[in-house]
Amino acid sequence: MAIGTGIFIGAIVVLVVIGVLAFFIGVYNTLVRLKNDIKKSFANIDVLLKQRSDELPKLIASVKGYMKHEKSTLAELTKARTDFLKAKTLAQKARADDIISGALKTIFAVAENYPNLKANENFIQLQGRISGIENELADRREFYNDSVNTYNIRIQSIPDVFIARMLRYTSEQLFKAAESDKKDVKVEF
Amino acid sequence: MESIMYALVGFGLGLFGFYYGFARLQLKRLIETTPTSTVRSIAMGTVEVQGIVAPAKKTLLTSPLSGKPCVYYAYAVEEYRSSGKHSRWVTIRSGSKGTPFFARDKTGSVLVDPQGAKIEIPKDIRYESRLGIDPPKSVQKFLKTERIPFESFFGMNKTMRFTESYIAPEDTLYVLGYAQDNPHVEEGTGQKNEEDIVIGKGGRVFFISDKPEKDILKTLSWNVYLFIYGGAALSLACLAVILIYFGLF
Repeated sequence: MAIGTGIFIGAIVVLVVIGVLAFFIGVYNTLVRLKNDIKKSFANIDVLLKQRSDELPKLIASVKGYMKHEKSTLAELTKARTDFLKAKTLAQKARADDIISGALKTIFAVAENYPNLKANENFIQLQGRISGIENELADRREFYNDSVNTYNIRIQSIPDVFIARMLRYTSEQLFKAAESDKKDVKVEF
Repeated sequence: MESIMYALVGFGLGLFGFYYGFARLQLKRLIETTPTSTVRSIAMGTVEVQGIVAPAKKTLLTSPLSGKPCVYYAYAVEEYRSSGKHSRWVTIRSGSKGTPFFARDKTGSVLVDPQGAKIEIPKDIRYESRLGIDPPKSVQKFLKTERIPFESFFGMNKTMRFTESYIAPEDTLYVLGYAQDNPHVEEGTGQKNEEDIVIGKGGRVFFISDKPEKDILKTLSWNVYLFIYGGAALSLACLAVILIYFGLF
């Protein structure tokens, strides 16, 4: 084989090897980044959940004098907050979050029936802050679930699946309460 | 001798294209795997937002060639030059400038500082001047300020082209950048406002485009194929020419 042919074939091999390596390094880096992004986006939800949880005792204190007939909702809220503080897993946190969000919606809706409460400066401020957190939470839940969805699709697609298996990456859970948990939620007035 | 020079340049360009294709692939992966954030829930770190441009300051920039009010512009003045058998476009002046602006979506506004961003926007303005065709008045004014003559020694117009792209208020933008605390806003004022966070350079990529994400990804996909395969093919073809030239093939 002529020396030129050898150089030419060598160049093709080098380009192919560099190309394949660069491609798989890119896939590897993407998966690692996605995995870390999920952790980060969960941490971003957690921060807001904690902020909201810190506001709840103040809210309960400000409304309980007015809402004599909604004791069960307030009790539900207190219990959900305690559950959230004890929650270790994502599913437990998602369930507590679900209950708290539901109870808060009910409290704010029912507050319309209490003119004195509606006019209370402290309640108005708390409602504004909590509603703000709720809105941000809704966005961040969606963001987290988008991140998880992208990750889950990638680790099951070719060629990412090979790298994912090598890294022992498995599917991540979406941030939502399990259907079975949802059945237990009862908010009554 | 000339063919070997072209082959060497082509070989280098091919390798660069090959490398650039992977850089585009990396950007494509980052864009397609980063979910879009709403402005009100932006978290610190790499973020992707889509919003409408709103000025952050009362005074906007004025684009140099068309005189449009904008928050960013880039321009180039080129001249067609001939020398013997060769002729080419030579850039005789180019530049860009940006000022911070707000990106607004339905949930709020966030400050974007375009300094250091890779901005991909199409050319908004293309003017030409040649024999019998003068550049527009706004361009003539700019050329006068910059002391760039558009007429040759004999008073005939030079063949020139003037291109400009800009980001104007109310344009819709895609921004992939790094969200961080605005260093120019005092912390702890207790009042959350739209200037608390600024999206700018800081992460691996700071990219701004006026296309929707879907179109950006489509363009990037083409770039990836073109540069990786085209770059490899060009470098191999040029390598073959080099080897033939040295009698090795």
